[in-house]
Amino acid sequence: MRETGFLGHSESFTKAELSSISAIWFTRFAEMIRFHFMKLRLLKSLLIVVLPLLGGCGKGDWQLGEAKKNVVMVEVTSQTWDYRLPWNPGTVSSARGAGFVIDRKRILTNAHVVSGARYLTVQREADPRKYQGKVLFVAHDCDLALLEVEDSEFFKGTSDLPIGGIPELESVVSVYGFPIGGDRLTVTRGVVSRIDYNSYTHSGRESHLAIQIDAAINPGNSGGPVMQNDKVVGVAFQGFRGDVAQNVGYMIPTPVIRRFLKDVEDGKYDHYVDIAIRWMALENPAMRGYYHRPNDGLGVVVTDIFSEGSSDGVLEKGDVLLSIDGHPIESDGSVRLDGQPVQLEEIVERKFTGDTVELEVWRNQKLEKKQITLRPAEMFSMYENLYEEPPRYVMYGGLVFQPLTANLMAGLVSGADLRLRQTYSLFGQDQLYKETPEPVILTTVLPDRSNVYIAGLTGQVVREINGKRIRTLADVLPALELGGERSVIRFEGDQRPAVLKKKEVDQVMPRIMTQYGISQPNRTELGSRRLAKGSYQQEGESR
Amino acid sequence: MRWAWVLCGCLCLACGVRAEDEDSRGSLVRVRASIQPYDQFRPWQKKSPFGLNGTGVVLPGGKVLATAALVANRTEVGLEKPGSAEKCAAEVEAIDYEANLALLQPVDRNFLKGFSGVLLGPALRAGDKTEVWQLERNGEMLRNQAEILSAGVGRYPSDEAGFLVYGVRVSLPKRDDSYTLPLMKDGQLAGMMMGYDRDSQEGTAIPVPMIEHFLKDAADGKYEGFPTLGVSWSPLRDPNLREEVLAPKSGGLLLTRVNPRGTAGRAGLREGDVLISVDGFKLDEDGNYRDPLYGPTAVGNLIRTRPTVGSPAKFRISRGGKEMEMTGTYDRKAREEVAIPTLQFDQAPKYLVVGGLVFQELTGAYLQEWGDKWSERAPQRLVEYFTFQQDKRPDPEKKVVFLSQVLPSPITLGYQQLSGLVLLQLNGQEIKSLAELAKIVDSCRSGDLVFEFRDEPGKLILNAGELPASSEKIGKDYGLRELRRL
Repeated sequence: MRETGFLGHSESFTKAELSSISAIWFTRFAEMIRFHFMKLRLLKSLLIVVLPLLGGCGKGDWQLGEAKKNVVMVEVTSQTWDYRLPWNPGTVSSARGAGFVIDRKRILTNAHVVSGARYLTVQREADPRKYQGKVLFVAHDCDLALLEVEDSEFFKGTSDLPIGGIPELESVVSVYGFPIGGDRLTVTRGVVSRIDYNSYTHSGRESHLAIQIDAAINPGNSGGPVMQNDKVVGVAFQGFRGDVAQNVGYMIPTPVIRRFLKDVEDGKYDHYVDIAIRWMALENPAMRGYYHRPNDGLGVVVTDIFSEGSSDGVLEKGDVLLSIDGHPIESDGSVRLDGQPVQLEEIVERKFTGDTVELEVWRNQKLEKKQITLRPAEMFSMYENLYEEPPRYVMYGGLVFQPLTANLMAGLVSGADLRLRQTYSLFGQDQLYKETPEPVILTTVLPDRSNVYIAGLTGQVVREINGKRIRTLADVLPALELGGERSVIRFEGDQRPAVLKKKEVDQVMPRIMTQYGISQPNRTELGSRRLAKGSYQQEGESR
Repeated sequence: MRWAWVLCGCLCLACGVRAEDEDSRGSLVRVRASIQPYDQFRPWQKKSPFGLNGTGVVLPGGKVLATAALVANRTEVGLEKPGSAEKCAAEVEAIDYEANLALLQPVDRNFLKGFSGVLLGPALRAGDKTEVWQLERNGEMLRNQAEILSAGVGRYPSDEAGFLVYGVRVSLPKRDDSYTLPLMKDGQLAGMMMGYDRDSQEGTAIPVPMIEHFLKDAADGKYEGFPTLGVSWSPLRDPNLREEVLAPKSGGLLLTRVNPRGTAGRAGLREGDVLISVDGFKLDEDGNYRDPLYGPTAVGNLIRTRPTVGSPAKFRISRGGKEMEMTGTYDRKAREEVAIPTLQFDQAPKYLVVGGLVFQELTGAYLQEWGDKWSERAPQRLVEYFTFQQDKRPDPEKKVVFLSQVLPSPITLGYQQLSGLVLLQLNGQEIKSLAELAKIVDSCRSGDLVFEFRDEPGKLILNAGELPASSEKIGKDYGLRELRRL
């Protein structure tokens, strides 16, 4: 017999109103009589007649019924790595969020609900059983994740929630989830307040299209669907604290969701692509005149091209971008997509690695066509929060070297040294990655009698070790092997060098590792992080 | 005889004047300063004025010693006699913002005739007992018992290097005119109080050796200031580091940066040298020398308080394991010849308004306007230039001109949000100062003005022909009488 829930059948009839009680009742009932096909049909016809008499009539209830079947509570126990003690397993904590069923075999939720998950369970409304789930794909750059549940029993009685488009401004939406204040499926309702680019705080640096709604979105709502006219129009994912702004919640809109689902079809999640340029709105008349553009309200001027980015070698400073994939670019950088004005980056946002984008470019008073092959802006990976992967480090004689990343900066106890903060904040815009794809910091000195004089150097950026310039964490261990009986570590700025006797370090390592509970002296594998290639001379070093 | 004394004493009590006032009448004078600093963010105007009142020390000859903090950014300074409340305006004859000292001269040279003045006393050590004098409202004097807690090199309010400073314990009641107070020992000047914490009852004072140096320097009418060495250094306690730099058996400090324009740089010292002794005073591994009075004291005092600008300097160094003698002359060029000046008291900030674009020259004062956390709050590029200028900007003639803000006007459409942008070129010409920028702008009557900046958005364009009308409108709209101060 076809494995469909009741509503799978009812779609061929008019969508009947079901009061909440009768829906639950019916689901159980249908399961009980599943194998009695004939009886089912009879009972169904009875019920179709009966049910409109029960409960109220109105489309919203169908949506609610679907929500009840397909919106799940996700409870996660996760582990957060400690960047201050990178060899430690980190802290364990629990959280709750929501999710909903996709394809009747997977669950879509937010990445921040399941990041670092070690154990997670999913539960359907009014079913006491908790099923163990597993993270299939997680996209930290757009805060989405796909879960699977091994026991397919879980998906019995679920259906497909159709995914819709971008809702209209001021139209009503309903948010389904399991926020604080109780344990049952909760509904809040509001209107679409704004459709705009916004930062996705979980990622640390990404901004994508986000829709602001005024329905209450609270802890526990994350990952739950936002619906309108029986379709999913977004995934609730972040909001403002009540003391900062009221009634401001955000949902991930369907273009982002669709992109994510399409991306993982090949079994792997690839990063967002980026044209990796900076541009300025061409609003000033004198500036327009300088670039020989008429006052037609179109075009933005390219002000910077990031080395190793998608546009490197294709676009130039001073290029005026007039259209992207055929969409004219207004002088404030917006294009019209589905009738809505969005930033030109939205066109790129919907594409994948290897896709191309066509640009009409005004250069030296001539119109040219340029094609850019898109790829992620890997050189900025430093600014993305890492969740699953353990922190990388090298421990040598009690000195702990770690790469400069967003996670590290967040974990620094006291305010970071000014040079370190500047290196971090100017890394992207000054394209420091060309020289140093991954700055290495001496973060801690584990006190030992062999390193008493080095403690004052923590927080400094390593420039070279034993004469070898340090450009990524991978350079550290080989550099420590070079040279004579002493290892000399030099830092940026006018700090004195740190000097260690190699023989002493060898003797001291077992003592330090025991004392501080360190099981492995280093962890340097890159994992999923991608670094810039850099554009420096190799000086005869091997990489 | 004894009866006579008792009678005098009774008479004094009857008048409500204590016997000690015989001494104070010649020593102290109220200093009332009206302060009005410039607004660094709106450099065409000043901030609200406020008053600071301190107690100055009268020196023999009728001049008055006070702290620089009392009179920095002054519009008016006045003196007032303690008892009679007679007033007289004063001029600042010499001022040192680093050492926090100021020498005032009453406009009426005879104003303090009859005041005997205070002599400079001895240098003090930790444990010495002393007094802090305050003035009561009626002119009587209050002598508060004080103790020197410490005497060593410490940071002064507006200085980056260290000077000799006293830590003082004293219980000071709240009295008028206490912004600065004299530290006295047996009726002689021992120091000037410059800070006080009421909770801990501890304060800091400028010691008399500093005051002596200041007054001697000011005496010839040409004030030169305290010398600097122009180096960054690190202690050499680490035996591994000592081996690496081939340091001598004991003592010495490692020079990690040498400003080529500073005293050490001009004497031939280089980064990586181990400094063993200065003018015959040996330095230990912590950077201390043995002071005859203070014992182990930081090298800062050796260099700053003892010599004067122009006096000879002798250094013994070890370079690559070889010891050498180097000679030079003490000066403070490393402090003064900088592209981005640090201290800007009593100086009006320069600015140039071009059609709504406001350009200024970067100074420490501009950054400090962002408050205590300026290194986090101010535009990071400007913080980078200021903090690491020694690495990147060796030429003091090349100032850092930057766009501080944009006053919205019709010709700055689209530029309004920009601020904190370092200007590199105008119409292809490198800009080294605000005056140079003004010259180029003035010489351009028509065509484009292409401004090129260090950071996004890189280029800004204005039409030179539209400038005059726009400038007039901006002057009117924003109430700017002057669109430039160069």
